[in-house]
Amino acid sequence: MAKKSKQAYKQAPWRRQIQSVGMSLLPVIALVVVISIYLIISAQSASAGLEIMDMHYEEEEILRIIANQRTELAWKTSYTKMVERAEEIGFESAPSESVHFIAIPGYEGQNPVLLAPPPGSENTLGPLVNNYYQESLWDWIYSTFLTSAQTSEAAQ
Amino acid sequence: MKKGNFSRLTLIGIVLTSSSALIVLQMLHIQNSTKHQELSQWADEEYSYAIENYTPERGNIYDRWGRLLAGNEDVYEAGVMLEYVTNPDTIAQTMEGVNGLSYDQIYDVVSQSYDEENSIYAVITDFLPSGVIDVLSDVKQTYETENPYGKNTEEPSLRGLIWSSHLKRTYPENSLASNILGFYSFRDRQEGMGYYGVEEYYDDLLAGNPMETFMPRNPYMLESLPEVPAGASLVLTIDREIQAMVEKKLDEAIKEDEAVSGTVIVLDPRNGEILAMATQPRVNLNQYWKYEDEFKDKVPFNRAISETYEPGSVFKVLTMSAAYDAGVVDDETTFNDSGRYEKYGGTILNWDRKGHGEQTMQGCMQKSLNVCLAWVADEKLGAEKFYDYMQAFGIGHRTSVDLGGEETWPLSVPDDADWYPIQLLTNSFGQGVAITPIQLATAISAVANDGKMMKPHVLKAIIQDGKQYNTTPQVLSVPIKAETARTVTDMLVKSLENESSLALVPGYSIAGKTGTAEIPVEGEYSTDLTNASFAGWGPADDPQFLVYIWLEKPQNSPWGSVVAAPLFSDITKELVVYLDIPPEDTQQNLVAKEG
Repeated sequence: MAKKSKQAYKQAPWRRQIQSVGMSLLPVIALVVVISIYLIISAQSASAGLEIMDMHYEEEEILRIIANQRTELAWKTSYTKMVERAEEIGFESAPSESVHFIAIPGYEGQNPVLLAPPPGSENTLGPLVNNYYQESLWDWIYSTFLTSAQTSEAAQ
Repeated sequence: MKKGNFSRLTLIGIVLTSSSALIVLQMLHIQNSTKHQELSQWADEEYSYAIENYTPERGNIYDRWGRLLAGNEDVYEAGVMLEYVTNPDTIAQTMEGVNGLSYDQIYDVVSQSYDEENSIYAVITDFLPSGVIDVLSDVKQTYETENPYGKNTEEPSLRGLIWSSHLKRTYPENSLASNILGFYSFRDRQEGMGYYGVEEYYDDLLAGNPMETFMPRNPYMLESLPEVPAGASLVLTIDREIQAMVEKKLDEAIKEDEAVSGTVIVLDPRNGEILAMATQPRVNLNQYWKYEDEFKDKVPFNRAISETYEPGSVFKVLTMSAAYDAGVVDDETTFNDSGRYEKYGGTILNWDRKGHGEQTMQGCMQKSLNVCLAWVADEKLGAEKFYDYMQAFGIGHRTSVDLGGEETWPLSVPDDADWYPIQLLTNSFGQGVAITPIQLATAISAVANDGKMMKPHVLKAIIQDGKQYNTTPQVLSVPIKAETARTVTDMLVKSLENESSLALVPGYSIAGKTGTAEIPVEGEYSTDLTNASFAGWGPADDPQFLVYIWLEKPQNSPWGSVVAAPLFSDITKELVVYLDIPPEDTQQNLVAKEG
């Protein structure tokens, strides 16, 4: 084997040059690869950062829109408007004398309003981001192929 | 050939290596030069962060069922970037009439000369609804298409006109519950604050923490993005439907009885929750700056908590409760009413100036005999016990109701320089003593709640950081025993029934007491001007509501039994429906069916 290599270098001495150039370029290429990866990640981070900042402003705007819509709804369902609408469609206020009380089994009256979860009820809304979007490539391969393979083996 | 190739390769290698080395050296030089540090520092200061004043969204206010009483809506500020204005005439013409602005007013603003140091931006108007902005946007776009960049100054252009949105406090119910809510001075965008009612009392909570934030411009500094939480939202104990009903009934009564004003408080004596609190006048909170037109001559924003007055016979409930609780009278105690009680240099007369002969305590309350109550306070209770009880009932002290602007009038007691023995007699039937409606309603609620006086309040829950924190009712004091409370309640039920009072509500057992107090005018009590009141609660065997009524100077009739009692009945008839309280016979049937 060694004889064959010496023979090859004797017949084509440029191979040795190529080898030395290749050896010297190897760290350069490695460096370039590392720099490229660093640049890509850096660019992606910057892009994500900008996106988050945009979303931050967008969130502010959305919160403002929500507040506005909530108030608009309140205007439309205000006491005066509701009475007007009820009268327009022919409803009349029931005199108290004509009110009849009937027992409804299981009905305990109107529940107190709960506009937000009570303290101590963490994670009541569950995870906001689906696990599907958080799994790594390995997680995906494991769940898609390995788990399904194990399942089919178990089934057989 | 070989040598030549080698030389060329070597040369290329040397050139490339030298160039690379030079680049690296230059980079190191730049990195370490003093100029670099200066520039870097300058860039950090100027461009790393933007300082933004952030005012969090003011918290919402809801009624007890989650209906919005105070919220925020998106409005716009319109102004001009003076540097870019090419045609002030077009801007003035287009915006003429918006928010009542004239052409000249707008033109004066937009035609200011641009000054990089002092005059870059000028505000034309604020609080524009989105509809106006939509129209302006369309017009601006049209002009921009026809006259790009406003280059032709002869052609119309809205170049330089800009708008930015912000939130404005809004009250969807206008004047409903205005005396409870108070208002936020939203027109003052820098120094706005809550005035009166809930907006004042809970101003800090609602406002959140306005702050000056450093917004990073460097996308790598994500972790330092500031989070400014919104102000806390409040859920009140007020029921919008009951409030509206009570306001309507009160307005009708004031008009019909030609009263100067009126106040109604509806509360749950079991926990002190205020379900409704109506007074006159009221103001449209969306135009709060006009409130001075409505509240002239030092008229308080909310009479229910800020105006003191002599309540009259309603106060007898407290005197009789104190006497029963102290054990100085009982159902067997009698009093021979001659119609006069002369002592301490004064003479006490009954409301009808007549004597009523021998009376039990039941009779004294039923006929509302001043002479009898003066005798009870003076000869049975004595000054010390009487005033101890009155203080335990909270007379002379603020109730600490969670509304801005509560007032009180000090109660004169025997050791005070301004107290005279005759006051014991007059105080026993509610003259010579001043209270606010909320004070007396709270004191009487002890009788309706087995002797426990609950702190009156309007806050049911706070919503902060995405969580709802419910409040807990607080006991203010226990001035009388439960047994006394039930005895007095039964006595007042019978009183109303025996008198066939106009306060009665068919199907329900109601306890209550009327009051007619003369009003002092220039040091003399006037018989023409009265404060007519009624305090009632029910159902008597399990009180779930207490209604307190005060009509000021009614002209139709001066008597509480004629003007205040029917108003109580009118309100209570509807109140029991809102509160799902069936009549007693129906309730018994329902219980029997369930059993």
